[in-house]
Amino acid sequence: MHKGAEIVLQCLRAEGVDLVFGYPGGAIMPLYDALDGSGVRHVLTRHEQGAVFAAEGYARVTGKVGVAMATSGPGATNLVTGIADAKMDSVPLVCITGQVRSALIGTDAFQETDVFGVTLSLTKWSRLVRTIDEIPDVIAEGFYWARSGRPGPVVIDIPTDMLKAKKEFSGPVKFTPNARPADAKDGGFTDTIVAMLQQSSKPVALVGAGAKISGAIPELRRLLDTLNIPAFATVHGLGAVPQQAPYYLGMVGMHGTRAANTALHETDLLIVFGARLDDRVTGEPTRFAPHAKIVHFEIDPAQLDRVRPCDLPVIGNLADTIPAFESEMRRNRLPDFAEWRSVACGADRAEVDPRGLAQPTIRFLDELFSRLPKDNVIIADVGQHQMWAAQRYCSDSPRGFITSGGLGAMGFALPAAVGVQLAKPETCVLCVSGDGGFQMNIQELATVHRLGLPVKMVIIDNKYLGMVRQWQQLFYERNYAETDLSDNPDFVEIAKAYKIHSFRLKEDAMREFPVSQETGDQIDRFLSTSDPELLVFDCAPEANVYPMVPAGAALSEMLLEEEPEPAQ
Amino acid sequence: MGEEDHMQSFHISYRNTQGTLMRILNAASRRGLDLPFVQAEQGETDHQVTIVLDVNAKQVGQLYREWYSITDVIHVGSGAAHSDTWTGHHPPAGVTVAESRSAARA
Repeated sequence: MHKGAEIVLQCLRAEGVDLVFGYPGGAIMPLYDALDGSGVRHVLTRHEQGAVFAAEGYARVTGKVGVAMATSGPGATNLVTGIADAKMDSVPLVCITGQVRSALIGTDAFQETDVFGVTLSLTKWSRLVRTIDEIPDVIAEGFYWARSGRPGPVVIDIPTDMLKAKKEFSGPVKFTPNARPADAKDGGFTDTIVAMLQQSSKPVALVGAGAKISGAIPELRRLLDTLNIPAFATVHGLGAVPQQAPYYLGMVGMHGTRAANTALHETDLLIVFGARLDDRVTGEPTRFAPHAKIVHFEIDPAQLDRVRPCDLPVIGNLADTIPAFESEMRRNRLPDFAEWRSVACGADRAEVDPRGLAQPTIRFLDELFSRLPKDNVIIADVGQHQMWAAQRYCSDSPRGFITSGGLGAMGFALPAAVGVQLAKPETCVLCVSGDGGFQMNIQELATVHRLGLPVKMVIIDNKYLGMVRQWQQLFYERNYAETDLSDNPDFVEIAKAYKIHSFRLKEDAMREFPVSQETGDQIDRFLSTSDPELLVFDCAPEANVYPMVPAGAALSEMLLEEEPEPAQ
Repeated sequence: MGEEDHMQSFHISYRNTQGTLMRILNAASRRGLDLPFVQAEQGETDHQVTIVLDVNAKQVGQLYREWYSITDVIHVGSGAAHSDTWTGHHPPAGVTVAESRSAARA
């Protein structure tokens, strides 16, 4: 006879899970009681949101399913932001929550929350377990849906009496989905795309997260080399296209490069590989790629036509659809797009050297990134530093830049870095946060210390909620309502209280360029030690991120740099 | 084009697993669409829900694709709705407070 909790853990092992993140509590205690000897390692975070973001970090860097556990009520509701984040960014995630015992469900019992109902619109699939017999099937099906198609979050809510109950257990099961018409794959698209290319004079390629999720990076890179048309990436597509490719124009969207946004505005044929085309990428939807026909390679039909109708949807996994497209392309003669390429990739559209108040911070990030060992992962939180980091990211590693892109959840980076470092113990993990976001999950410094993880943490400290302040400056007449964080605690002292070494670098150190030997040595030492460490970089309070596409503007209407102050 | 011209009747077949009907309805409600008529019933093999919605062509496409992304949805079909389908009293709406009070006292 096996307890339900033991069955859960055996089923997790059968799904390949050896690491889970969580926080114990009343209703899930039987599961914690069974952990010892189960083969599943549990990492205790200091908040359930830390657990779910750590599980996301693990999933995003490995492509495997991340697992988070929490108790009923507040434990479960604290997972909600991470679940929403996983939905937006297509992260395979399984959350296991304890629930009050079956007889108490619906009575507003202590720590009872309808987590199934709360997360219904955020999950790809969810179940409230009703009998112990269901457990193996529910876990097998949950993992199947979390990792299949467009990956996403799953919630499995298990009443505590199911975890305590005993039954004969013959072993984990496999889930096989029923076929349905909606699962039919597209075919016969390839000749149409080739014909569209032959009619086009200004084609471009836009690469999103789907490229890395599908594992089709080699196929994509080969295809882009053959196509040889201007290409750019969303924030989640960074690293999918080699930075040195002569046709690569960098990041597209609200804070994308001038070259990428201009080419996207001018194109007559936009080929999208695995991107949702949300408003941060498109700018004003009604003026998005106004001259273009759109071919949209996408695994999730629900993402099609959200902004504007595409002319040719190609439904399926990029690992299948790209090779089919490429082989058709090789059988046909395509126009030479050299003239368009020379315009789109021309020197007059190149990025200008950073100027103004942000210059020292951008130089600092350049120094930091250029001194990273080759095997590295950068995790960015949410805000100005996130966009600066994305703009300066220069690695060709497809899973090397991790951030909360769709939901934009502040507080993501530090716990996500915990998950990334546990998944990649030999990798240099660099966590870049702002002073606002770092405080949202600052308690995870305790997790970093407890596990002795050599995470390198950087706070870009401008003593503001910088991105909101930037919008207030530009669009709300400098009414800095509730964005002043000048009373921040001393982060260096806080880190010391968590027994983590830390130091502060003033932006004056970056006024000199190249940086002094002393500053360079400081950064090198910071990146090379085997202990966790925090570097607080003082950033000008009113530094802004440029280029920027204002809300409601077309991509072609980006602001390229700071407007000069009017003369007094 | 009058309001009635936008009324579409959707017929969705689904396996009646936990939450599937709610996910189907949520696809409409998250877009701020009113649900003037909903009827769910068991069919020969699966369940079917009929929903009448005031939608434009773009929303129809979005709803189709979102419903098909729900794991236990089997088929989605639609057609123009007749006004008597969605303006008539649905059973719960036909019970007045007075009637229920009378029933409670009986």
